Amino acid sequence: MSAFISPNDLTVQPGGLSMAADVARMKGSLLNNIRRSAYVYRVDCGGCNGCEIEIFAAITPLFDAERFGIKVVASPRHADILLFTGAVTRSMRMPALRAYEAAPDPKIVVSYGACGCSGGIFHDLYCVWGGTDKIVPVDVYIPGCPPTPPATIYGFAVALGLLEQKLKAETHVEAEGEAAPLAHPSIPYDLRVQLERQARQMAGYRQGRTIVEEFLSVLEARDATPVERRIAKLAGGEGDPRRAEIFAELAGTFSRMLTGGTP
Amino acid sequence: MLKLLREVFRTGEATHKYPFAPLEVAKDFRGKPEHNAVSCIACAACTIACPPNAISMETDVAAGTRTWSISYGRCIFCGRCEEACPTGAIALSPDFELAVARKEDLTKRAVFSLAACPSCGEPLAAAKEVAYVLDILTRSAASPEEAERARFLVSTCPACKRKHDVEQLARIGVERQMENR
Repeated sequence: MSAFISPNDLTVQPGGLSMAADVARMKGSLLNNIRRSAYVYRVDCGGCNGCEIEIFAAITPLFDAERFGIKVVASPRHADILLFTGAVTRSMRMPALRAYEAAPDPKIVVSYGACGCSGGIFHDLYCVWGGTDKIVPVDVYIPGCPPTPPATIYGFAVALGLLEQKLKAETHVEAEGEAAPLAHPSIPYDLRVQLERQARQMAGYRQGRTIVEEFLSVLEARDATPVERRIAKLAGGEGDPRRAEIFAELAGTFSRMLTGGTP
Repeated sequence: MLKLLREVFRTGEATHKYPFAPLEVAKDFRGKPEHNAVSCIACAACTIACPPNAISMETDVAAGTRTWSISYGRCIFCGRCEEACPTGAIALSPDFELAVARKEDLTKRAVFSLAACPSCGEPLAAAKEVAYVLDILTRSAASPEEAERARFLVSTCPACKRKHDVEQLARIGVERQMENR
């Protein structure tokens, strides 16, 4: 009998590729003053095809990445930019590395989409490496699930050094005596919870919140007109019949709770 | 030919001006989740709601801190965090320009302090969360006694609450036995 073999010894951990110094220098001088088109080769490392659809949406006439000379090509040998999409499945690692090796230096590697940046929703799956940067050195990360065509164009501009990145790492440290403000302190808590619940039930969490915030701001307003009339005006002035009905229901709940009945 | 030209002029230019002009996104566009750390109470509802675990929370008992963090690289912009947030501290913004050259820039953090249980001194929950709940309960309390009871219930840890309950029950038992004699 053979000795015990740990399953971890059977799987190869991917080693990152490093860049030679002269290649890095070439890349620096290329990005310093880019005066030509940049050709893009798209490497699908096991994505869901959502990113591919958005890449091709970015080269349609509506966004037209080709007006900046960005063109999607069919072979990595023509490419300046390699676009890696997908969470890098185990079986796509070698093809991805081959595409990387086939592209001429200096090349720019872009990690595209949430999966490419960090594995996305698949980050802890057994069959993925979880991100492009686990196998090749990445220059630019474009997050999004999938990134929209404008986000793609912005990412290309950052990759080519034409635009500055906006996002910066931030750390907020709780200040002394920092307290979360209570929303709508002048409205009784039970009433507010009841209205919020009802609005969410009828319009869903996200729209329900905006609708109930609108309703509560009308309740809270310091105004000479009686609150009933203000609410009736809100429901009556609403053009969307669905929203008008929700406002009417909320007004009903409000008046029932005001007279002491059950909601 | 003229017909075609007329059609071309009628249609005009379809291409967006972006990136030379700001792009107007749709009304319910789901972009970068914007976290307002001041109104956040570190309740961790968003970390449970987040499908790809882009939002996470780590508690360091020794340092007495709880660190909230979001990785925009892993976020799938579903908006569940916004739905789950009780204070409206996190909301999706129309900002889509998220591309970065350094991966660390995709992470945003917020550090909150922990509140200690007044009886045993062990960390209980984020101080802001305790204060927030206490604020709501004190405002809706019917009497000062009820408010005082709410203060005890909110700021005490579960172990101390159990101990307190047992002590009270034991006292009641003795008193009843004394009465019965």
